[in-house]
Amino acid sequence: MSEFITLSLFASTLHLSVPVILPMLGGLLCERSGVVNIGLEGMMLSGAFGAVVFSYLTGNPWLGLGGAVLSGLISGGMLAIMSVLLRGDQVISSTAINLIGAGLTAALVPIIWGIDGTTPSVPKIPTLPLPLLPQLPVIGPLLGELSMIDVLAFALVFIVWWVLMRTDVGLRLRACGESAAAADAAGIAVTRVRIAAVILSGVLAALGGAYLSIVTLDLFQASMTQGRGFLALAAMVFGKWRVGPAFLVCLGFGLADAVALRAQIFTDELPHDLLFALPYLLALVALATFVGRASGPADVGKPFRRA
Amino acid sequence: MTTAFSAFLATGGRIHRAALFSLATVATSAFMPLAAQAGDAPIWTMITDQNGLGDHGFNDLAKLGLDKSVEAFGGRAQVIQSTDQSQFVPNLLQAVAGGSTMVVGVGSLLNDALTEVASSRPDAHFTLIDAVSTDDDGTPLLNVASVTFREQEAAFLAGIVAAMTSKTGHIGFVGGMETPPVVRFLAGYKAGVATIDPKIKVSHAFVGSFRDPAKAKVLAEGMFDSDVDVIMDVAGGGGRGIYDAIIAEGADHWVIAADTCKGHLAPNNFLTSAVKDVAGAVFYENKAVHEGTFEGGPQSLGLAEGAVGLCADNIDTLPAEILAKVDAAKNKITSGEVTPPDTYEALDAFVPAQL
Repeated sequence: MSEFITLSLFASTLHLSVPVILPMLGGLLCERSGVVNIGLEGMMLSGAFGAVVFSYLTGNPWLGLGGAVLSGLISGGMLAIMSVLLRGDQVISSTAINLIGAGLTAALVPIIWGIDGTTPSVPKIPTLPLPLLPQLPVIGPLLGELSMIDVLAFALVFIVWWVLMRTDVGLRLRACGESAAAADAAGIAVTRVRIAAVILSGVLAALGGAYLSIVTLDLFQASMTQGRGFLALAAMVFGKWRVGPAFLVCLGFGLADAVALRAQIFTDELPHDLLFALPYLLALVALATFVGRASGPADVGKPFRRA
Repeated sequence: MTTAFSAFLATGGRIHRAALFSLATVATSAFMPLAAQAGDAPIWTMITDQNGLGDHGFNDLAKLGLDKSVEAFGGRAQVIQSTDQSQFVPNLLQAVAGGSTMVVGVGSLLNDALTEVASSRPDAHFTLIDAVSTDDDGTPLLNVASVTFREQEAAFLAGIVAAMTSKTGHIGFVGGMETPPVVRFLAGYKAGVATIDPKIKVSHAFVGSFRDPAKAKVLAEGMFDSDVDVIMDVAGGGGRGIYDAIIAEGADHWVIAADTCKGHLAPNNFLTSAVKDVAGAVFYENKAVHEGTFEGGPQSLGLAEGAVGLCADNIDTLPAEILAKVDAAKNKITSGEVTPPDTYEALDAFVPAQL
């Protein structure tokens, strides 16, 4: 057992969580502003793809991150136009984002690289170790397993929480999600706030995709996100649309995955299919029992039109 | 375009991602000169599983077989990609409705869908790779050539190479999902290792998907943490994560691939590959249809047929004593003296023989 529970198990947990945490933050911002966004998966895929394209074309992985941000602006912008400006059905517009994200990226790979499915290796973000922190007692070695990028990702969790819960901007955003009409009466530009939130969710989800494609790996593969965007949504609901709890749920999913993957190395006896399904089963049971009714922002999903 | 449209009708008019994809596929192939006279020229169609093209595995190999068929018998090749299981039946129906001369279903995951479509269209010809298509009573369908490979024989040889290369005495195996072909690879591999040295530990693990390179990488890293120095990748397209991990690990860590040679993915760490000639099998069945000698039913291909083996690209770089053992094993397998196990049960009952 001692050889199983190691620092690298926790490192794996963190690395598996980040690509769920980032889209979760995006989805949370979006829904707290009153717009349903089930398009995180497609946004992640296009972000992962944009990152690889820019890293490939420029040879600079940091510009790859820029590419992810750009693709996030585009996919978020598209959703904002469809669901906020044109007041389309939010579920259907974000489903469109999913379909476009999956289809377009898969179709562009052979056009750009001339091969199907998986791109060749592109320059990836170097794993910069943290300065000083690894020398700390107790938690030092664990921090040593993290790179700058991981720390930035975790910093985003705090930033999103702080902006959402502790600033005027956050209060306005939440007001739009709870009662768009009241927010409007109070002089908040509901449409503008929602557009900003939706675009931001695109950027965060795209960064989550880029984490997979040019931080963890160095390639894009069609449908490589494997449902992490939907997992992020589940974490958001399970965390009742609050940053802290949803963040912990993401970590829980990451830990469950890391354990399910790595436990197999040490024993043949475990039913790995069950292990893979366990976190989702637990989430279902928890939601159905002690967590109680998952209640989102009151005005989520309702397009806003000024009376 | 007509093909895509009829598929659209065949799926009951549901707008489907498959239809979008195949629209793109058919649109591309429509640029080919023969497309206009589709009535006469043969259409060689393949349906991929979720791995899709670019898997450096059986999908790419089957495509190679199609291309060879076009070269030899004319007509055109058509690839319909599936991104999830719900697309199998509509894709197969589309292929049949489009007048395909032969429909190749690639991968055991397509078995149920292909069986369903093939039993309702007894006049169409099918090749199923990696599984045997049977009706409800277990009788093989006669319009389906069900080609299975004895992967365990190639994996057995790979296991010998792995066991003789490992210095730490701990060897790994990463599978995508626990499908029958992956289990055949695993059982043969473990038996090959045990034949060289039963004391060597083999850890096997599954990613849970054939398309998740990030998880495959985490799994490989976990194996390296516990001193694994030779790792076999049967994780489909997601296996790319393993090469990423092994390059970071550096010298004295080896990867063994499956289906095709994948040396270019990690040139300094590539040991060998347990390959299977899917291209040859696809070509063979297409040829049979072309010459009117097509016979359906199960066909098992292995070392004796020259359909599986180790990657030829870098076989010369393996040490002579390893090659000697590999050759000895090859002879014993072809002569029937050694039967590599193809299931967990057979693996438990396997008694290593002296090579």
